[in-house]
Amino acid sequence: MTSTIILSVLALSILGIILGLAIGLISKLFGVATDPKVDLVLELLPGANCGGCGKAGCADFARALVSGEASPGQCPVSSQEVMAQIAQVLGMALEAPDKKIAVVLCGGDIQQTKVKTLYNGVNDCISAMLVAGGPKSCAYGCLGMASCARACPFNAIEIINGLAVVHNELCVGCGVCVKTCPRNLIKLVPAEAKVHIYCSSPEKAALKMKVCNVPCIACRKCVKSGEEGQFTINGFRVEVNYDNYPGEDIVSKAGCPKNCLLTAAQHLEIERNEEAGEVVA
Amino acid sequence: MTQESLLNVLELTVGAMLVYNFVLSRFLGICPFLGVSRRLDTALGMSAAVVFVMTISSAITATIYNLGLKKTFLINGTEVNLLFLKVLIFIAVIAALVQIVEVLLQKFSPPLYKALGIYLPLITTNCAVLGAAMLNSVNDRGIWESTVFSFFSALGFGLALVLFSSLRERLDLSAVPRPFQGMAIALITAGILAMAFVGFSGLC
Amino acid sequence: MNEQAINKDLKIVSFKGGVHPQKDGKILSKKASIQTAPLLERYQVIVSQNIGAPPKVVVSAGDEVKKGQLLAEAAGFVSVPLHSPTSGKVEGLVDIPGPMGVMTQAISILADGKDEWTELPASIDWRNSDADTLKKRIMECGIVGMGGAAFPSHVKLSPPPDKKVDYMIINGAECEPYLTADHRVMLEEPEKVLEGAAILGRAAGVKNVVVAVEINKVDAINAMMEKAAQFNVGIVGMKVQYPQGAEKQLIYAVTRRKVPTGALPADVGCIVQNAGTAAAVAEAVNAGIPLIERVTTITGEPVVNPGNWRLRLGTPISEALKLCGGVKCEPGKLILGGPMMGFAQRSTGVSVMKNTSGILLLDKSDVTQYESSPCIRCGRCLEACPMNLQPSALSQLAEAGQYENALKYNVMDCIECGACAFACPAHRPLVQHIRRLKAEIRNRTKKEIKK
Repeated sequence: MTSTIILSVLALSILGIILGLAIGLISKLFGVATDPKVDLVLELLPGANCGGCGKAGCADFARALVSGEASPGQCPVSSQEVMAQIAQVLGMALEAPDKKIAVVLCGGDIQQTKVKTLYNGVNDCISAMLVAGGPKSCAYGCLGMASCARACPFNAIEIINGLAVVHNELCVGCGVCVKTCPRNLIKLVPAEAKVHIYCSSPEKAALKMKVCNVPCIACRKCVKSGEEGQFTINGFRVEVNYDNYPGEDIVSKAGCPKNCLLTAAQHLEIERNEEAGEVVA
Repeated sequence: MTQESLLNVLELTVGAMLVYNFVLSRFLGICPFLGVSRRLDTALGMSAAVVFVMTISSAITATIYNLGLKKTFLINGTEVNLLFLKVLIFIAVIAALVQIVEVLLQKFSPPLYKALGIYLPLITTNCAVLGAAMLNSVNDRGIWESTVFSFFSALGFGLALVLFSSLRERLDLSAVPRPFQGMAIALITAGILAMAFVGFSGLC
Repeated sequence: MNEQAINKDLKIVSFKGGVHPQKDGKILSKKASIQTAPLLERYQVIVSQNIGAPPKVVVSAGDEVKKGQLLAEAAGFVSVPLHSPTSGKVEGLVDIPGPMGVMTQAISILADGKDEWTELPASIDWRNSDADTLKKRIMECGIVGMGGAAFPSHVKLSPPPDKKVDYMIINGAECEPYLTADHRVMLEEPEKVLEGAAILGRAAGVKNVVVAVEINKVDAINAMMEKAAQFNVGIVGMKVQYPQGAEKQLIYAVTRRKVPTGALPADVGCIVQNAGTAAAVAEAVNAGIPLIERVTTITGEPVVNPGNWRLRLGTPISEALKLCGGVKCEPGKLILGGPMMGFAQRSTGVSVMKNTSGILLLDKSDVTQYESSPCIRCGRCLEACPMNLQPSALSQLAEAGQYENALKYNVMDCIECGACAFACPAHRPLVQHIRRLKAEIRNRTKKEIKK
């Protein structure tokens, strides 16, 4: 009995030593030094791999963070605490960025706009643009075929009545939708800016009104009701100046005749409550 | 070659690879099979790693078994046999080998190392590698036969992995119904692939 | 169907793949001889009609112009001038619906009814002329590829000096269903086509000049074979298959040479020109006549009297349809070109351009509004693709947005002929998927270059 025990202990010890030596030798000869910080940071990151930081995935971003090429603020998905933790691991000070969210600057759902042709093809905005610029009468409006909604990694965009609407609570501002929209309707704006002008068409008012019920006709009512510099006039349309945006009370103060100046909440409310009727052709 | 030795060779090669495929007939090593088979390049990398680990570990464990564990030693008049340490020793050898493979992979192919990630240490606790070693000892094979058997078993594992990853790449593009998306359709496909491999039975 | 028999000496060739639409549609107009459209009150000539730079307009509102007078001059090497279709007064630049669905600029000309020619350049004795003189005349007369591409012909005739060209192939395939314009031109004016072919051969410095015609046009083949010898031009027959008229397939059928990926016909020593273009070249060189009119097939089941009409540039489609007696029932689609690769229009305000080979109205029953279903892996599209691609895999990659993988499947080789979509039993919009892949890949390449 004892001889079995002694022999087995001896055998295992010798095996262990040989294997240990082998591993140690190979590690010494071929080992690659990795910074343990990279793994720590990678664990702290949300792991969505959305690319919002501009890098190819969270692992790439972690490496960039440790090597000093990137700052934790670049990750739009991480919360403030996560960013603070990462900053602590890296031993750097944290600048607090403004949270940005996306907004689709168009109010032309199927009730409010006209369709110029029957489109019979792939149900996707980018594909539709290849066929004579898409079926909508307004050449600058939202096509409503959900390319942006499908691209959003957080399912924050909903198509209501043929119009893309961003849900503010779900949006993290990663910017994928901005790159996807073939008509460049989506903008990243400060999260606190609640008022928007839902029209992106640079056409003259008379032409716009032929194809849409809610265009911005550049009547300047909002500009006059607001303070200096809150709006910029860009050709035949007015835009909100997101560096100096107005408060929510501007909507009632200005009384936009086309119901184009709205808060995000009002816009969502209107879209939800519109009856799904026939397409205005 | 006598008929018996020919049958033996066939059993060790074609049998190990196709008829008694480790993944699709014996159902060993399902974890890396389902985990790494999303893309063809990672599947190929994983197969290469498994072939290496399985062959070398089987060679070493078969040596230890044939020269050490099988024999009974006479010490101080008592007969001592260490066969009960089989599993322990096999696992220790496999674990060490996987560590070495990990270090080598990190040095010589960092992208593959990154891609395989967690699945590399999973080869350690993988029932496929241990299974090969155990099957060799249970069937009391010599060192040379054990190595050949494990090499072809690993090739069979790799074959199943490559086939499955190609299927999965195509499945990813198809319009799979909602309830079946993800792991569900993968398992169903694996089952059908296993049924296909039953067609090899009776080959040898 | 064919009253005449095919000449025994005719060599018949083909290519791999393609489809054969059973309902040819050519029966509607292939017996209709070419009629010349009467003078209209107003012509709206679209400015941008060719690949390359659009010409620069040199007339202004109020100018009096004569027929054939220069309206816009070429802007650069890859550009051709534009000439007036009739005499009259320039009303100015207007925005009319373009063939691609967006508004485009056009020169509106109010005809004065006199239809007087401007002074035309002298006739050239092409047999004793050098290539540069011929190419200059072809350019000055605004000749572009009239088969549909509208590529400036003089540019095609000037390949880079390191590319040795030994074959001039005249494309008389007209493989699109319904279209019969080239057929009638070859049948009624064979000498013009053959002479044009010989001129093109001389302009490119090429010995072998061949006119390739599909064998469903036996009368045209026979008409040309009679006169071919005097111009030293060969005639080759081709099996009826779509898209036999596509450049790469045509070259393979006639010469058995394969144009590699991303390469041009000149890289395998061939130049391809349309039969209508050849006829226009003959007129330009012999009489100095610029390209101001062309033969167009106006056809379709809803059309009262389908036919082949010689229409001037700038003829509104609405007027062209009136020539055929209008429509007898509400059409499903209006297409400029053929049903396979033509463009559906949303307005009859579009006007005839240099490459308008057909004005096609499709009946409602032929235009289905369908829901596309998932790929059933039948493989018909693989059999149909003349470029040996996998449209089924490409469409799935498009739906999944995998652009890098699409490059591995050679998506940029696709000639967008539509044979795959025609063959697909699941009604998948394959060509649209592939177009999206190509557009996205081109965008990305452009962004990469910018970086």
